[in-house]
Amino acid sequence: MKLWVTLEGRDAEVEVTAEDGRLFLEMDGRRIAADFHQLPDGEVYSLLVDGRSWEVRVAPDVGVLQVTVHGMTLPVAVRHPLEKALLGLERAPDARAGETVAAPMPGVVVAIRVTPGERVVAGQAVAVIEAMKMQNELTARHAGVVSEVLVAERTTVAAGQPLVRIVPEGA
Amino acid sequence: MPAFRRVLVANRGEIAVRIVRTLRELGITSIAVFSEPDRAAFHVLQADEAYLIGPGPARESYLDLERVIETAKRVGADAVHPGYGFFAENAAFARACEEARMVFIGPRPETLAALGDKLAARAIARRAGVPVIPGSPGPVESIAEVAALAHEIGWPLMLKAAAGGGGKGMRIVRSEAELESAWTLTRGEAQAAFGDDRVYVERAIERPRHVEAQILADGTGRVAFLGERECSVQRRHQKLLEETPSPAFDAETRAAFGEAACRIARAAGYLNAGTVEFILDEQKRFYFLEVNTRLQVEHPVTEMVTGLDLVAEQVRIAQGEPLSFGDQPPEPRGWSIEARILAEDPAAGFLPSIGRLSRLRFPHGPGVRTDGGIYRGCDIPVFYDSLLTKLVVHGTDREQARRRLLRALHEFVIEGVHTNLTFHRWLASHPAFVAGDLSTRFLEDHFRPEVLRPGTEVTEAAVLAAALHARAERVGVALPAEEAGPRRSAWRWSARPGEGEPR
Repeated sequence: MKLWVTLEGRDAEVEVTAEDGRLFLEMDGRRIAADFHQLPDGEVYSLLVDGRSWEVRVAPDVGVLQVTVHGMTLPVAVRHPLEKALLGLERAPDARAGETVAAPMPGVVVAIRVTPGERVVAGQAVAVIEAMKMQNELTARHAGVVSEVLVAERTTVAAGQPLVRIVPEGA
Repeated sequence: MPAFRRVLVANRGEIAVRIVRTLRELGITSIAVFSEPDRAAFHVLQADEAYLIGPGPARESYLDLERVIETAKRVGADAVHPGYGFFAENAAFARACEEARMVFIGPRPETLAALGDKLAARAIARRAGVPVIPGSPGPVESIAEVAALAHEIGWPLMLKAAAGGGGKGMRIVRSEAELESAWTLTRGEAQAAFGDDRVYVERAIERPRHVEAQILADGTGRVAFLGERECSVQRRHQKLLEETPSPAFDAETRAAFGEAACRIARAAGYLNAGTVEFILDEQKRFYFLEVNTRLQVEHPVTEMVTGLDLVAEQVRIAQGEPLSFGDQPPEPRGWSIEARILAEDPAAGFLPSIGRLSRLRFPHGPGVRTDGGIYRGCDIPVFYDSLLTKLVVHGTDREQARRRLLRALHEFVIEGVHTNLTFHRWLASHPAFVAGDLSTRFLEDHFRPEVLRPGTEVTEAAVLAAALHARAERVGVALPAEEAGPRRSAWRWSARPGEGEPR
């Protein structure tokens, strides 16, 4: 069976075959002997790749598998080749839709540094959030104009909560 | 003074667990306190007794002076160990313990007050003939005053909270352009962390090393120097990795350094455990920074090379007994390194990470110690600092300790929150770290988030694991993916839990 595997925007075609109860993977023209053994720990597997030992956790997430290897968690999308082809027909998201600066973790907004209508440059601090006793500046990734400030100072916010919306200039 | 029977630990997390461990070894009843979100925290499980002291925010629980003192009195504690942070350096708390006829395990209240004021501490050091860094004689009132001082002592400067410590409320300012933002942030942090927004100014030393002296002082007037710790690897003045001895020290520097630290301790009339912090410049001249009037986070490295239990020494001193080793501190043996394992994501600007530890496996084996406040399944709450556990290793020399650290990091599994395990692997493998070429600018000089990107082997293993997982999950699904259509394919089922599909 052939699978399209996507990691950080790079695709690979992986074919998994079973022969006499042994697993083989074909990728980039290489044939790799694999052994994939689930541990009592649930989502955790022992993976042997040509004898090299890895302990991996594979956790399903929205649209991807979150694979943890050596303490690093990588989002890997696995698709059937047909699905991959259909996905390619979907429209790419509009890059000029602007951005929303959101709280990266739960905390308290200690300062909002911008007001609606204000022009910001890329990297400019728009808000300061305090969590775990540290104050962190949140910055705009792109230049633009502040369209909305969604929270007041001293507000306790949840992770992912939008704080400030910025639209491209002239939008 | 009779030996303590019941000691209340006015702290949480790994340090509360650390203290409870020694109390148990000493046969003393350990009493924990906890906030509502800490009901099932590890220190509560490990202590003999545990009492609720309020809701999550530290100000309403661990920093509620009356509540902690009232609890300690009510449950009949003979003594209170404050750990570090919270009330550890709080003279009013130490005084309240005394007034309630409980022993505060730490320095006398007047010493805490004198050394807690960083400006008074500098004056003590000057009187003891120990060099200090040039700076403002007292708190500065305005940005204009800082700018004027900068003309005298030059950029870059440090802005520091007068009531600060533990790396909180201090910032380097490289030019006048950075001053306004730094002034506001530092005063804001100082107010939030210490309830005191006074700041003072010091000349910043370029590429400094941070080296500190562990001292113990008993009630008989003995002051012992237990070696130095190098804590140069820091981020935003928060230490990330500490070691003893310092790779920068020779016997001569060490002797002068220990002597200076003891002079300051004597001048301050010091009692119990303390740390005298110094800045070491590139010419290996040291300048007094501050005294931390408490047990330090990084105390285990000193314990590893001396064989002492510093908490047990603290208890002895508080009971009025002399130091266990008399006039002759143990000769340090070998090398020890501590890595602070934090719930934060180095790849995403070191943002704190909270959640439930879904999976946890500690490293074991020769020369490895972990001081943690966590267990599998426990929650990391948002209210407190991000220190999960300290990984401490001991080796015969620096290179063995370093390799042992890497080995232990390889064994360590923490999942459910982001951690800096990968960061520490990068750090312990970096050529400058291997060479012992450290400074507090180590991260600015060497670290970029990209260095933590996984190598080809890791990404290949992840890709193969994902493919094998998807294949395994598909087994037993009757409909071929093609017939089900792309949005309902088996591949997607495996990646979307909770949609009511078979998995």
